[in-house]
Amino acid sequence: MRRTLSFIFMALAIMCFAVPVLAQGGEAASSATNWVAITSGFAMAIASAVCGIGQSKATAAACEGLARNPSARAGIQLALILGLALIESLALYTLVIIFAKVK
Amino acid sequence: MEQLPFTAFLNKYFGGIALALLHALHIRPTYPKTPITNFVAMEILVAVLLLIFFVLVRSRLSVENPGGLQHVIEGLHGFIQNQSEEIIGHHSERYTPFLVTLFSFILLCNLLGVVPGFESPTANPAVPLGCAVVAFVYYNLQGFKAKGPGYAADFLGPVWWLAWLMLPIELISHFARMLSLTIRLFANMFAGDMVTLVFFSLVPLGVPVLFLGLHIGVSLLQAYIFVLLTTVYLSGAVSAAH
Repeated sequence: MRRTLSFIFMALAIMCFAVPVLAQGGEAASSATNWVAITSGFAMAIASAVCGIGQSKATAAACEGLARNPSARAGIQLALILGLALIESLALYTLVIIFAKVK
Repeated sequence: MEQLPFTAFLNKYFGGIALALLHALHIRPTYPKTPITNFVAMEILVAVLLLIFFVLVRSRLSVENPGGLQHVIEGLHGFIQNQSEEIIGHHSERYTPFLVTLFSFILLCNLLGVVPGFESPTANPAVPLGCAVVAFVYYNLQGFKAKGPGYAADFLGPVWWLAWLMLPIELISHFARMLSLTIRLFANMFAGDMVTLVFFSLVPLGVPVLFLGLHIGVSLLQAYIFVLLTTVYLSGAVSAAH
């Protein structure tokens, strides 16, 4: 207990060495970083990743349903295509915002 | 403004009439020298090509001796007819002409971008918006025609004491359908163009052909999806919970 406490206090004391960072605040960034471009990259990656997961679940369920009941091919195919297009369009909304907002 | 060859041709002969028409509607075009923009010229081309195609088919219809064109149009008509019968149910034949026209228009618009010297009008956000607004107006009109003024009661939900909640939700979801139809078609076509351009700037030989092939596949799929979703909305509007 004593050793943990002393460890914590030593760490806090070392962090006091970081005080000069506060001196930097107040000067405007001359080379402005384009945060919109950076975050749009992350946003598109997240949107595509989650869209990929959703579409894989839809495809897997369709394959399993088709394997169990091959005579229901028409209905399963219809539901699969419709579902995939709707999920795809969610990732596309992100892409459209990127094209509209990123200079 | 950078013009395609067909746009330059149209502007040379019809530019004056187009400008007069726009001024009569109090619209100031951005480039008064070329009032017909690229995507409008491409849409006009698609409309003319489709008219020629349908007139050709009509003039060559025959029961005993069907030619190639008749097989094509019968295949398309039968495909959409089967699908709308599956989704809408009875009396679905009256919607097939509209759906076939919508499908042919969107498909030809999408595919036109693959030909050099032309561009897809659907890569401009105004054209998919036009198709989505047309589809929206059509399925609401068909709802009113099938159910009379009672179609508006559909928006109020299943029970009367939830109507205050259901009405805004239903209205927003119906308008969101227009938005999603537009953005889906526009973003797919636009992204296809962008991706082809990006890879063309990296490897000018060979690789962009793969993306053009992808663009063709996506064109077919997106035209089909647009018509499929319109059919689903039609079935929701026309065949109520009875």
